[in-house]
Amino acid sequence: MINCSQLIEDMDLEGNPSDHRIVVAMSGGVDSSVTAALLVKAGFNVVGLTMQLYDHGKALQKKGACCAGSDINDARSVANKLGIAHYVLNYENLFQDQVMEDFADSYLKGETPIPCIRCNQTVKFTDMFDRAKKLGASAMATGHYIRRKRKFGKPALYKGIDNFKDQSYFLFATTNEQLEFLRFPLGSLTKDETRNIAKLYELNVAEKPDSQDICFVPEGKYADVVRKLRPGSIDKGDIVDIKGNILGQHNGIIDYTIGQRKGIGIGGRKGVEDKDTILYVIELDPYKNQVIVGPKEYLKCKEIVINECNWITENPQKMKSKVWVKLRNSSDPVSGKINVDLETGSSALLFDEPQYGVSTGQAAVVYNPEDTEHVLGGGWITKAPNMLS
Amino acid sequence: MTKSIYLDYNATVPILAEVKKSLLECMDLGPVNASSVHYYGRTGKSIIQLARLNIANLINTKSENIIFTSSATEAINLLFGSFKEIIVSSIEHLAVLNSSKSDLFIPVDPSGVIDLNYLEKLLKEVSKGNQEILVSVMMVNNETGVIQPIKQVVDLTRKYGGLIHCDAAQALGKIKIDFEELGLDFLTISGHKIGAPTGIGALIFNNNFNLSPQILGGGQENGIRAGTENILGIRGFGEAASIMSKMPENNFSKVNFFKNYLYNKIRELRPDTIFFGQEAEKVCNTLLMALPNTPGDLALMKLDLENFSVSSGSACSSGKISKSHVVSAMGHNHLASNSIRISLPPNDFILETEGLITIEELDRLAECWSNI
Repeated sequence: MINCSQLIEDMDLEGNPSDHRIVVAMSGGVDSSVTAALLVKAGFNVVGLTMQLYDHGKALQKKGACCAGSDINDARSVANKLGIAHYVLNYENLFQDQVMEDFADSYLKGETPIPCIRCNQTVKFTDMFDRAKKLGASAMATGHYIRRKRKFGKPALYKGIDNFKDQSYFLFATTNEQLEFLRFPLGSLTKDETRNIAKLYELNVAEKPDSQDICFVPEGKYADVVRKLRPGSIDKGDIVDIKGNILGQHNGIIDYTIGQRKGIGIGGRKGVEDKDTILYVIELDPYKNQVIVGPKEYLKCKEIVINECNWITENPQKMKSKVWVKLRNSSDPVSGKINVDLETGSSALLFDEPQYGVSTGQAAVVYNPEDTEHVLGGGWITKAPNMLS
Repeated sequence: MTKSIYLDYNATVPILAEVKKSLLECMDLGPVNASSVHYYGRTGKSIIQLARLNIANLINTKSENIIFTSSATEAINLLFGSFKEIIVSSIEHLAVLNSSKSDLFIPVDPSGVIDLNYLEKLLKEVSKGNQEILVSVMMVNNETGVIQPIKQVVDLTRKYGGLIHCDAAQALGKIKIDFEELGLDFLTISGHKIGAPTGIGALIFNNNFNLSPQILGGGQENGIRAGTENILGIRGFGEAASIMSKMPENNFSKVNFFKNYLYNKIRELRPDTIFFGQEAEKVCNTLLMALPNTPGDLALMKLDLENFSVSSGSACSSGKISKSHVVSAMGHNHLASNSIRISLPPNDFILETEGLITIEELDRLAECWSNI
């Protein structure tokens, strides 16, 4: 189950493991704990770093609660068990500025953001990354289910072996430079194997449930968080059909996402011609403060524009002909054509088959058509015109 | 793993060998609950009484003025519970700042000494009301080591009819503390700063002030602080106090030598290092310094990985390091996240018996600092 020599080889570092300090980003979960444990057992000089991103007491609105969640304590006790140095990085202000503000603004614009990718982009793989380098580390390892392999002498990114856990979608923004320094020891393991290793090493997080939600959003109630971050800027408005007829009221467009079907809140729709047509959220209009609903076919989207693109491949313009694109973490990749403009960092993606419910603010992650495990990069969806647009 | 060189004596001092011996003896005395009436209870009472005498002797007060608590923090909370209007200095320990809930701050000058004129201004304003005023100023700042003009604070406060508390946690074992001579109303101290175990502190008070207890129960400590007495902690505190009392005065020439050596070495190897509070009167063991462009937590991690245990800013229980409110208060806000504190043993006795500091290690420390 644990193959130290394979791990050491995958670490892609010259000399003996003991020559190398490896910084492990330890969240306190089972994945990063096992990452640290594997590297310790393989003989590396491991240092654990945990990011303090927000005040947990405040986030849960619990009076007198400590700013740190139990995760920091879990990370610390694992580090202690492994006999490694462990530090907490105070990134509360940084996280607020770089991730939470963007998260709120994005919802107000009618988008559906992915703060976890923003966090990787702006905090974890920039500031923590920088700290790891300054601490003299040879590499920084995380517990992501993704593989890093050398391809033509350059590090390349591949999906994790465990299809259910693959996190390549969240790491499309990893730059070539970052990838030189990053390592993902769990990419070749399944989640079950990770848990078994945690049990074998008697880590007290072995049975800890996987985190499901965005870390700073308690119980998945993201709209509550946006309301707290942007008090006074969320107004009631109309829910309208595609012709502009008012069907009901909403308490803020932030409560809706494109493609949403359940819980739109318009009940029995009197006066609507075809009562049996199921309505979906087709568009969120931040200017008119409207939620526009309609039948599914209006969600059809044939092409999108992505921005802030990141390419982890030699010549991204060569991809033209055909690529596979993932539009959500939970859905399968779809085929299409891409036109990369390296100068503007913007690319156009044309789908072979129209897609439904594509939302701006999400990421489009591109995979190699010849090897669908191979992540080529991607970008943020800024335009996703559907039949209404 | 290599043991780390400990240079964080302001945080805590290792349990002194003689204290440890006396604690082991105490553990052999049997089931001691000082509240019991029988033989063992009497044994406990006598242990507490002896400790009170030793501590009273060290700080020149009467033994009946001492209330044992779990920490200086608890002692401060106990005291502040009886006051509504509290004036504090802006460089107080968080135990004072957070428990006083005060918004009446005495500022400090760039060298870290409190502004007495401003204190008088505050006293003038506040004394117009009918409330009883408490002024709380620390004797020695824990980050800079700067000694505060307590005698003048007492005189000023008296002039306006206020009461004075002095947090002397960092002064104990470093400079002479004379409760009577200073004319203080309240003093708080902590055992582990002089080589007793952690978990024992004391509130000293010297007037007819009626303290309202925070912890109610069996009426221990004259009903002011209930809960079975921490016999081991009290014994250890008393023993450490007795050792400190036997030291000659100004017993810090070696500490001073080491500190100056390190100071000069760092200035030589890393001339851009900024030192705080150097212009003021300071205790001998403390150096607070910063590099202009290096966050303190980075410097701390690098030194820790090189086996030097120092501190930075104030760390909460999460382990995250926040910027130093002391450095900010001194007007160096831009450096408040960069400061690193090196604290040597509080006096020569502890340096010689417990401190394992050598010139070679200080050389290596200065070298590491210069490479950050």
